[in-house]
Amino acid sequence: MISKNLTAASTKPIILGILKQGNSYGYLIIKKIKELSGGKMEYSDGMLYPVLHRLEKDGLIKSNWTMDGGTRPRKYYEITALGKEELVTEQAQWQQVNAVLNTLWDVKPSTT
Amino acid sequence: MSNLQQHNGMFDLEKEISQWLKSFRKQRAFDEGSIQEMEMHLRDHTEDLIGQGLSEKEAFQKATQEFGEINQVAKDEYSNIKRKTTIRSILFRTMLNNYFKTTLRSMMKNPLSSFINVFGLAVAIGACMVTYAFIDFDLGIDRFHENKDEIFLSTYNVNREGKEERYGNAPAPLAAMLKNDLSNIENVTRVHDGNAVVKFGDNVFHESVRYVDPAFLEMFSFPLKWGVASSLHDINSIILSEEMSMKYFGEENPVGKEIKVIIGKDISKVFKISGVARKFPKARIIDFTFLANIENMKVFYPSFDFHDWKKQINATFIQVKNPSDLASIKDQMRKYKDFQNEVESDWPISSFGFVSLHDLHLASDEIKNDISYDASDEGRVGLPVITGFILALACFNYLNIAIVSAAKRLKEIGMRKVIGASKRLIVIQFLAENLLLTFIAGIIGFILAATVFLPWFSGFSDISSEFDLLDPNLWLALFVILLFTGIASGIYPAFYISKFQAVNIFKGSVKFGKKNLATKIFLTAQLILTCVGIGFAVIFAQNSWYQGNREWGYNQREVLYAELQTASDLEKLKAEMVKEAGVIAVAGSRHHLSKRFATTIIHLPDHQYEVQELAVGADYFETIDLELKEGRFFNPNQESDKKSLVVNQTFVNSLSLDQPLGTQVKIDSTQYQIVGVVKDFHFNNFYYELRPMIFTLADENAQLFLTLKVDEKSKVASYKALQAAWIELFPETPFNGGFQEDTWVGFYEDLNTMQRFTRATAVVFVLLASLGLYGLIQLNIKGRIREFSIRKTLGARSRNLANNIVKQYLVIFGIAIVLGIPAAHILNSAMLGMMFADPLPYGYLGAVLSSILLIVVLAAVIATQVRKVTRSNPVEGLKVE
Repeated sequence: MISKNLTAASTKPIILGILKQGNSYGYLIIKKIKELSGGKMEYSDGMLYPVLHRLEKDGLIKSNWTMDGGTRPRKYYEITALGKEELVTEQAQWQQVNAVLNTLWDVKPSTT
Repeated sequence: MSNLQQHNGMFDLEKEISQWLKSFRKQRAFDEGSIQEMEMHLRDHTEDLIGQGLSEKEAFQKATQEFGEINQVAKDEYSNIKRKTTIRSILFRTMLNNYFKTTLRSMMKNPLSSFINVFGLAVAIGACMVTYAFIDFDLGIDRFHENKDEIFLSTYNVNREGKEERYGNAPAPLAAMLKNDLSNIENVTRVHDGNAVVKFGDNVFHESVRYVDPAFLEMFSFPLKWGVASSLHDINSIILSEEMSMKYFGEENPVGKEIKVIIGKDISKVFKISGVARKFPKARIIDFTFLANIENMKVFYPSFDFHDWKKQINATFIQVKNPSDLASIKDQMRKYKDFQNEVESDWPISSFGFVSLHDLHLASDEIKNDISYDASDEGRVGLPVITGFILALACFNYLNIAIVSAAKRLKEIGMRKVIGASKRLIVIQFLAENLLLTFIAGIIGFILAATVFLPWFSGFSDISSEFDLLDPNLWLALFVILLFTGIASGIYPAFYISKFQAVNIFKGSVKFGKKNLATKIFLTAQLILTCVGIGFAVIFAQNSWYQGNREWGYNQREVLYAELQTASDLEKLKAEMVKEAGVIAVAGSRHHLSKRFATTIIHLPDHQYEVQELAVGADYFETIDLELKEGRFFNPNQESDKKSLVVNQTFVNSLSLDQPLGTQVKIDSTQYQIVGVVKDFHFNNFYYELRPMIFTLADENAQLFLTLKVDEKSKVASYKALQAAWIELFPETPFNGGFQEDTWVGFYEDLNTMQRFTRATAVVFVLLASLGLYGLIQLNIKGRIREFSIRKTLGARSRNLANNIVKQYLVIFGIAIVLGIPAAHILNSAMLGMMFADPLPYGYLGAVLSSILLIVVLAAVIATQVRKVTRSNPVEGLKVE
């Protein structure tokens, strides 16, 4: 299980990443995250929405309601140009963290 | 899904979901959009799980469980809102970005009704500004004096036949007494006016000189342009107003020059000009043309005794440091009552009083014979009432058009609701739109007022030349009016519409603005206001016409008059004028209609009565064509007629004399007998009530007015002859006389002004009313265009269509006329009663005229619309969405 804090921290890049592949709505985004993490991320579905709303307010994503073919109305989210930039920054940051950790873990602990 | 539901008969998914959503709403962190988003999530999830084989109950439970704690989600969402947005930012952004656009769009969609709305409101707001300007001006009258709160006019009360009357003049010795006896009075000034002829070189004019104590210029704020104020201590100095300085000397500084003031025939004095006042503010009543030390009256009027309590001067002002001293001052003034009442026992003074300069103008209606006056009370009441009506009419026009247009925007509202607008948001949206529209109207109204209304209004009132468009109070008032108008006219449609269920809107089951009681009431209110407005205008115009064409009760058109300085002068002029061919009759008199009278107290056995006295020569009646009702006029040669009276009908009525002829009354201690009664005539203009009047036979040595009856055709020639004779006989004195009808020039000008004002008001009312109706019916027909197109294809003619439209408004229109016209009449009577002693008698003509005008307006509006429909191709009408 991935810890709550780490999950929370990674939600933003994950959402931006998913939306970069195509517009989507809340339920589908969650479903996708769950699939990708294989259920390993400690997540409650509801937690996603405040994050989405915050991203929208920050201008990283935008939304509009769509009625597609007789089904129920859905609020589709779309990544904005700003969001794409942000995603690049996030990627760089996560890679740096990853690199630091990798370096640490590749080196054998020195004997004292 | 339906069979699943049967399996779990106990479980109601819909109910559970709405329960779940309810707990979301409780959190208040989410707007309607978010809640809907989450509802969709839950439904998607549940459906998926059911698809995987779970029961409805299990699916719902699993979905909610995975969704997690609502509390936590709410907390996150809430911190979101808090972190990023404030109410202001929401309002600001949404308003500007969103509502502005939608407002403009919906305005452009219906440019005509938008124009009607905005224009109507703009006119109303412009009218508000005029009213504000007027009242601002009026309340500012005589309030520019720095000491306005320390200066008081002394008044006294007299009990007349059980009625306390307040007088603004003062016994002549009062000022000196006050100054000597009371130490808490800082300054005292007497003010008295007298007529004089002023001469400088070739410039000779009749003028009025104001005699004051030197303290006058210390108390009142009349700064000087040239010269020094203290020069008033010198009794040989005179101070001019700027206007007089211009009249006699042009741009030149006249200080040091000498002018001659001539009183009557023999008395004259040369004054040295020692000062010229700066231009007076427009908002003033108390001012002066020539200002001289009051001591001069001893020279000019040797018989005027300043120690005589029987003599009155026009005004006595005091200045106190501390207005709270007034009570004790009044206390100490009690003793003066006795001085006065000893000599004037007919109407003993009951008390002295004071009114501050600050309040004097407004209090003047209640004070007789005072130096100030209040001629604008009807304006102060009438203008706000008229403006209120215009504003109300504009608001109702607006309201009704707003309701109809809102009904056309139901789908938009439904859509907004679906995508997450809460009720509150829709209300805000509508109000914001409304406010935006009102503020646009406000700007246009302001421009309209500044460029059209105010200049027009100042054409017959003094107000606007000094009216400050940047006055912060005006802006505040304007803002409040706009805010009020915007909210008042928008609140109902906003709340009403926001209540609708989106689903019902889309289903088409919501009908708005047709069968609803409130909208019917609003529509009726609009029509009633329309009726009142039009009725008001018609009746008011009718009254002006009526007053303008009223008879004066004597011959005004064929009479000339001249006012001389001595009786012997009169004889000379008379002798010249009898020779003139066009002169039919001549008469001398001491008093003269519309020019001069005396106030006399007559004593009857049981009480006394104040009347107006006209002392006239025996030929006066025939010369001026007063009509005898019974008895006779005076006999010129009868010594006994020195003790005879001719009275007017009002005199007979107010004393309820059954047998006026022969009735004995006493004036001072002389017994008089009534020998004749004349029909009522108007001594004063029609603003004033008829007063009881008596005619006495004037002593020939006291006759100063020459009255000439002339042939209407050669009237002008006679006038010229009169003037020529005057110049020949009295080259030193400027001509003083004219056409009798010209004595009321001011009144007729006033009436004319009022007519112009009424006409304009009427035009505004009719315009607003027609525009309102036009907008409403136009929208209504537009909304029913499909129906009409179908009717047309089925063979309906324009008459049928018109019937159909008219039917809809018939009842409401009937109610409006029945309620509106009498309301207009009541309003009018109140207004006119304030102005005229004897307003237009009630007639059906006004009601009929207003109704006809209304029906014409309505018919014209409907006709144009029906024509449009008949002319259009029904196919186009059917295509309309």
